[in-house]
Amino acid sequence: MPELKDEALEFLLARSGLHLTDEQKAELMTVYPGIAEMAERVRKPRGHMAELAHVYDFSEEDLT
Amino acid sequence: MTEAIPTIAEAARLIAERRLSPVELTRACLGRVHALDEQLHAFVHLTEERALTEARAAEAAIMAHGPRGPLHGISIGLKDIVDTKGIPTTCQSKLLQDNIPDADATCAEKLAAAGTVLLGKTTTHEFADGGPSFDLPAPPARNPWNTYHFTAGSSSGTGAGVAAGLILGGIGTDTGGSIRGPAALCGIAGIKPTYGLVSRAGVAPAAFSLDHIGPMAWTAEDCALMLQALAGHDPRDPASASRPVPDYTAQLGSGIKGLRIGVIHHFHETDHKVSEGTQRGITAAIATFRDLGAEMREVQLSPLQDWLACGSLISITERAAAYEEWARTRLGDFSERVRSRLMLGALVSGVDYVQAVRRRRELRAELQSAMKGLDVVLTATQPAEAAKIDAVPKWDLFAAPNFTMPFNVTGYPAISVCAGFGAGDLPVAIQLVAKPFQEPTLLRVADAFEKATPFRDRRPALVAA
Repeated sequence: MPELKDEALEFLLARSGLHLTDEQKAELMTVYPGIAEMAERVRKPRGHMAELAHVYDFSEEDLT
Repeated sequence: MTEAIPTIAEAARLIAERRLSPVELTRACLGRVHALDEQLHAFVHLTEERALTEARAAEAAIMAHGPRGPLHGISIGLKDIVDTKGIPTTCQSKLLQDNIPDADATCAEKLAAAGTVLLGKTTTHEFADGGPSFDLPAPPARNPWNTYHFTAGSSSGTGAGVAAGLILGGIGTDTGGSIRGPAALCGIAGIKPTYGLVSRAGVAPAAFSLDHIGPMAWTAEDCALMLQALAGHDPRDPASASRPVPDYTAQLGSGIKGLRIGVIHHFHETDHKVSEGTQRGITAAIATFRDLGAEMREVQLSPLQDWLACGSLISITERAAAYEEWARTRLGDFSERVRSRLMLGALVSGVDYVQAVRRRRELRAELQSAMKGLDVVLTATQPAEAAKIDAVPKWDLFAAPNFTMPFNVTGYPAISVCAGFGAGDLPVAIQLVAKPFQEPTLLRVADAFEKATPFRDRRPALVAA
């Protein structure tokens, strides 16, 4: 995962609609490596056909 | 069992024999609330008058027609993220301080229909965050075994209240361990049922696809009695399972000879090495199960860190989505911990989330395969005895993987039961996990363990004092 730069964080926060103080932004920068590590960990060589755990289905109400 | 505080099963028997009145039981529980809750903070809202009215009505009905079931007249508490008609439901948030729902959550409705007496709303951390938080409208619950120590969260008030006998049972919710964690640290039993077995309707979400509702009580048998009233299909919950509800007490007492129990040693011995006291409890529990005639086997799964990464990314994203509107407009009104968790949502991409949900499918398949030929698996519930309440790191999410999240990721039913006492004479616990909808087997194993060990005979010293 690439390093999180100030400009990128500003963009992500603006995209999320969150208004943070400088202190909160600094804190978010410190925990970003933990999130990046998790995001790497869930990526496995699974190919493009692997499905999600959640499968959309139809209820009885759809069928009647 | 402790003479002064009956279990639900014991109280139900006495009530049915008309040797205990629901009014007496309610008054006894309220007496303990008045004596202890200044120290424990298990309740955020006490419904004393309503409880006594309900108890009198239960008494009259039982005298006239007998009890409608084992929960009739039993004192309970509901976690304060469970909607209760006409009773404040604040989710321990400044955002909902004036919230009085106009309808009950399904779980509240079902327990009321079973005849329970509601003593009040129990303490949680804001919107079922794990806590502890000290900037909430009400203080965090304290551990009855030592009030300087944490209860774990987020069903902290229910855990503390049951352990101290303020209530005989209560509702917890569990997104990454919030039933099982407080059950473990407070020395009680708490079951996270199979995903979809107990309706989430009317309960504030933490992460939709990981959220579970379940009972917490002194014993596994009591959890079974409560689960009987709670389980079943609910069209108000889109994830509600449409399956027949079995008898959760039918297998209790039938022994566990020949059952096959897998131990996920690497979870608690390598991936996140537990405390000496916890390891002693687990080792002794394995010996107990062997003595009871169970076949013990070893189970190997992906590292605990993989399960935590999957569950955490899903949890962070679903929570951020659920509370996005308030996060955008009233972020400053959230507590520091929840604000921090909501901020994390900005760092997880849509693709990260989908990769986590694809990983979830693989992990569930892995557990399914590992459990072929097994009835339950066993690991730790908590890494150690309860920490001091002011010593829990804010970013514990990244500190070390927890033992409970794997079964939120998979939706498999899991129960925590007391396995003894460790450092500081604080409770330690084991976690047992069964296949989906196999709660009867899970409760049978947990009940057999409790009955073969002496840990249910002892309550916190503060209760006796």
